[in-house]
Amino acid sequence: MSQQSDQKTIAVQERPVGAVSANPLAGDPELLSDFILESKEHLTSIELQLLTLDQDPGNADAIHAIFRGFHTIKGMAGFLDLDAVREVSHEVETVLDLARNGTLPITASVIDRILESKDYLNRCLTELESMLETGKAPTAFDNAALIEAIRSLSEGGAKTKTPVPPEPATEGLAELARELSPSEPEPELAAGPCTEIQPENQPENPAATESPEVAKATEAKSGGARSIKVDTGKLDYLVDMVGEMVIAQSLVKHDPDLATGLKPRLARNLSQLARITDDVQRTAMSMRMIPIGQLFQKTGRLVRDLSRKYGKQVDLVLEGEDTELDRNIVEELADPLMHMVRNAIDHGIEMPEDRVRAGKPAAARLTLKAGHQAGHIVIQVSDDGRGLDREKILRKAIEKKLIPPGAGLSDNEIFNLIFQPGFSTAEKVTDVSGRGVGMDVVRKQVQKLRGRVDVSSTRGQGTSFLMKLPLTLAIIDGLVVGVGKHRYIVPIFAVREMLKPAEDAISTVQGVHEMAMVRGALLPVIRLHQRFNVTPRFEKPSESLLIVSESGGRQFCLMVDELIGKQEVVIKSLGETMRNIPGVAGGAILGDGRVGLILDLEGLFGANHSE
Amino acid sequence: METLVATAGNTVSQKADHRAGKYLTFQLGNEEFAVQVLRVREIMGIQEITAVPQTPDYVKGVINLRGKVIPVVDLRLKFGLPEIEYTQRTCIIVAQIDNHGTKLLIGIIVDCVSEVLTLQGTDIEDTPDFGSGVETPYLLGMAKTKGKVKILLDIDMVLTSQEVMSLGPIGA
Repeated sequence: MSQQSDQKTIAVQERPVGAVSANPLAGDPELLSDFILESKEHLTSIELQLLTLDQDPGNADAIHAIFRGFHTIKGMAGFLDLDAVREVSHEVETVLDLARNGTLPITASVIDRILESKDYLNRCLTELESMLETGKAPTAFDNAALIEAIRSLSEGGAKTKTPVPPEPATEGLAELARELSPSEPEPELAAGPCTEIQPENQPENPAATESPEVAKATEAKSGGARSIKVDTGKLDYLVDMVGEMVIAQSLVKHDPDLATGLKPRLARNLSQLARITDDVQRTAMSMRMIPIGQLFQKTGRLVRDLSRKYGKQVDLVLEGEDTELDRNIVEELADPLMHMVRNAIDHGIEMPEDRVRAGKPAAARLTLKAGHQAGHIVIQVSDDGRGLDREKILRKAIEKKLIPPGAGLSDNEIFNLIFQPGFSTAEKVTDVSGRGVGMDVVRKQVQKLRGRVDVSSTRGQGTSFLMKLPLTLAIIDGLVVGVGKHRYIVPIFAVREMLKPAEDAISTVQGVHEMAMVRGALLPVIRLHQRFNVTPRFEKPSESLLIVSESGGRQFCLMVDELIGKQEVVIKSLGETMRNIPGVAGGAILGDGRVGLILDLEGLFGANHSE
Repeated sequence: METLVATAGNTVSQKADHRAGKYLTFQLGNEEFAVQVLRVREIMGIQEITAVPQTPDYVKGVINLRGKVIPVVDLRLKFGLPEIEYTQRTCIIVAQIDNHGTKLLIGIIVDCVSEVLTLQGTDIEDTPDFGSGVETPYLLGMAKTKGKVKILLDIDMVLTSQEVMSLGPIGA
């Protein structure tokens, strides 16, 4: 931005007397954030359309759609004095115009260029966004890359039309672009100040030259708009407050004063209230749900790039794109999904000739599938590649001392070794995968979302990753346990079983570490009161309760005084200041209005481990 | 935050002007302290606090503020005064503090809340120099009203100096 504003001030100084000084709209943060939001949407749809175009180069609708996207961005950018953005989108527009008229064939390299400039614009937007957030000028836009992109684009357009010698300077390019698109108004690429005038005459000009169907399309769009944009912060707050309302409602309902002598009318009204709160909660939750399709479509780009890079043929098949889940989960899933797709293309899928030799079609299938299953979301990433190599994984695991040699592991256990940090069977490290970080990230992320991931594979037939995730992050089912006068919440998904140990079930190792015998296995015992330094009601294990849990593939027992009950709780952060307390995942308002701490069993066990 | 002082004047009075305004005064032991009223969100009686493990002793835990979970700090312990039993008069002042641009709510336990005072610039004096080695970054200044001295606290500094930010894990 700094460069830009520099340019602007210079331009303003150069402007003839009598003109308005700087564009008063340029610095408006509200307009700018609207612009960012809208442009991001445009860019997303542009990418989608580009991928369509890649499959079907003759698709005129897609070209029009892309053109419209860039055009809108250009218009708005001009309005806001964002020269870098405007210039790039203008150049792309020029190329698209050529393509629209049929003078420039849509080739893969043209699509590559447009994708590149789309990425560039995205970077610009991100910069602007951070500028808005932090208030400081963003790091300079990478202008060299910009010019490069513009040049290749314009040249690409020029080659097929007129052999204009490429000129290195931007001004030359502006000339070139103008020559190529006579329909554009003259001052189009001139220096900053003119952009003020532009918005008035600009939108109608190209629109007039465009086919009438474009206008029709926009009309239909505005007529059919049935949704509004809401700040996600507000939405989160609403969901939060609805959670509170549900708790407050249950507080009233279970109030001891009401339990005695409840009159029919009051009972009726109370249950009416319960129904309404229930409805409100469901609606509020559904407002945060978005279809997973958006996420799936993003992988389309990745698949295209990677398959071209490796010379592999991959057909991406998407299923269950309408499956809805919490927006926050969708955001968090982007990374693991990317890693799994990368992994599938790099390791799983063979080269076309190898596939043909193995009697499979040259083009591999990569399937992304989502669906509901018993209150969970299940996402499956499967390929029909070579499958996991059981022996190789085993050898590598022994080499890395992850398992002792000769351990009798089931196929499933062996395959799940690939989720260990630093584990990779790839012979060579490519820039895409092989460092053994990817699968580790996948599992960590999925666990963070309180889900689990499993892998299954058949040699020569393919590999399939199955992720099971909760519908929402906002609410968890918890067991309320008591230690002394304190109460804690243990997330149910982490609990394997609970038991009251027999007198002799606990033994000590070296007099310090306690172990419990549970179903024939010795598991380490963690006394919660020792971890948290509180006074328990019972010191004797036989009077306490053991909660068997699993962390990082290892089971352990957590010792608490008693089980108080089960409750659905809304997870609250303890705030910035208490973010990283080991063993505490957050807080929740309990039935009586007090705060209970939600335990992070993994953290508890991990902290125990490091000592 | 910065009040624009258009009138020319010496630096002392400018600084004092900047600090003038309404203050909420409260007691800790024998001393009277004051915080800017604009920072105070609400005052509540002492209520049950959920202890959070592995935090410094002056962090008493968290409370439920209408659905929000906020940390609570005992200012006595924070200032190294002896701990006392909480009484009917013990209060939690919920203050909004500014930590490098992010605003957060924190509860502060004090012995009792006294009154709201309007302090003029002339009432306020700079913190006296206690000699080398005594750092007082969280003192805005001293105010003398009705023959008494009140200590003006910069609540941001009190609660966001590095100790509070490392509220997280201490020790291992």
